[in-house]
Amino acid sequence: MPPVLEVEAVRKSFGGVAAVSDVSLTLEPRRIYGLIGPNGSGKTTLFNCITGIERLDAGRVSFRGERIDGLKPWQIARRGIGRTFQVIRVFPELTALENLLVVTRGPRAEAERRGRELLEFVRLGPLAGEYAGNLSYGQQKLVEFVRMLMTDPTLILLDEPAAGVNRTLLNDLLDAVARLRDAGKTVLLVEHDMKVVMGLCETVFVLDHGEKIAEGSPGAIQADARVIEAYFGR
Amino acid sequence: MTRLLVPLMLVVLAALTVYPIVGSGYGVRSVQQVFMWITLAGSWNLISGLTGYVSFGHVAFFGAGAYAGALLVASAGWPWPLAALAGGAAAVLLAVVIGYPCLRLKGPYFAIAMLGLNEVLRALVSYFEGITGGGNGLSLPTLDASVPIYYVMGVLALVVTGLSWLIVTSRFGLRLMTIREDELAAEAMGIDTFHHKLGAFLLSAAGPGVAGALMARDQGYIEPISVFPLAITVTMIVMALFGGKGTVFGPVIGAVVLFVAQEIVWARYPYVHPLLFGAIIVAVVLLMPRGVLGLLQQRYRMPRTI
Repeated sequence: MPPVLEVEAVRKSFGGVAAVSDVSLTLEPRRIYGLIGPNGSGKTTLFNCITGIERLDAGRVSFRGERIDGLKPWQIARRGIGRTFQVIRVFPELTALENLLVVTRGPRAEAERRGRELLEFVRLGPLAGEYAGNLSYGQQKLVEFVRMLMTDPTLILLDEPAAGVNRTLLNDLLDAVARLRDAGKTVLLVEHDMKVVMGLCETVFVLDHGEKIAEGSPGAIQADARVIEAYFGR
Repeated sequence: MTRLLVPLMLVVLAALTVYPIVGSGYGVRSVQQVFMWITLAGSWNLISGLTGYVSFGHVAFFGAGAYAGALLVASAGWPWPLAALAGGAAAVLLAVVIGYPCLRLKGPYFAIAMLGLNEVLRALVSYFEGITGGGNGLSLPTLDASVPIYYVMGVLALVVTGLSWLIVTSRFGLRLMTIREDELAAEAMGIDTFHHKLGAFLLSAAGPGVAGALMARDQGYIEPISVFPLAITVTMIVMALFGGKGTVFGPVIGAVVLFVAQEIVWARYPYVHPLLFGAIIVAVVLLMPRGVLGLLQQRYRMPRTI
């Protein structure tokens, strides 16, 4: 069985700044991976390279053994890569339920049933008919999360799921992520909150100035001299 | 609310159906104009109100339909109803040709490109005098068909409004709105935004094309400045904005209210009439950016299909 995702020597520059330089990583099925690094280390750019929002300058990205770099974002999404954004991007003038419906194909009744189910799952059932723009920050984050789940992705990319979320909500989210892994999905999450990364991830990649400087178990990463240097300076 | 609305609409439809029998020539012509504006504002709403891609050259489809229809009647001797359909087809064809490059442009660039397109078309029509009559215009054989055209225009307005209803209540329509809300997020969620935009654009071109051909037949004479004026685009935009962009009946309300207002003001004070439109644009943008219906929807939590 091929890896879920293979990123090989991916490079992306903006002007003279190398946002991502020669980063390679491999994701195996049914695992939770963390992607950490200081601000500006290229985490979100790497996400955008994987999801087709940015074009690669060099390198290749393969999903379940097939190349996906060069495909359009919607084509990549349909192959089974779902994502959330660092800054929430719900559709504010659509209701919570409509936010989920738009990403579905197939019979509408079935989609609505599943949409309501997912909203119940994150305790937003009573707010299904509310415009997403009227919901609180945390609620919008949940809508974005379940909207991504509506596409039933194989690989889930989460960009800072913990940012701006209260503890209770966060624990619910992390539970959900662990359950998704148990259900056979692969998760890659960008996160600043070390506790989240260390508690949840089985393997952690560390980026600094666009380069991958370390990869390993959370324990090994925490002890890695280069990682400590990248975060705290020499 | 809905229970009241349906009988009300049936009564209005019945009244409009018998109106040409009892109404004056001026009245029939005026209602026919309202039908035309409902068609234009409703069609503009399909692309611009739903996807947020503001077309500043939508009259180009009206003009293309007018010339296609008029040429087929005048030169090829087609019956006008068939020529009207061909006018719609010509407008859709034009939309295909310009949709591919222009719908890749974002925001203001699309608006400007559409504006430019309309000017180019007007120049082309003026230039190819041999076919179009150029600046001298194009005359059609005389024919009094104002009552049949009234009915056809009415059906056209009904079709455009019905189509809007179907779209707004469908997931296709909701996806069009996601383009307006956040195009990048829509893409990342697996929505093929380009083909959605293109679909909406083609649908939005058909109505104006047919309306242009009908108008050409009704007036019997067209010239470049009469069928490609920026004023028609601006009027349909203001009507849709006034009634409520992105709603089903907003463009209908806008077309009816503003047409009536325009007629009243035009009759009494011909010189302040452009001023009225300017004032309405400013008032709508400042005070109720969602339009009359948008405001009601928000305040009374009405469904977006109203």
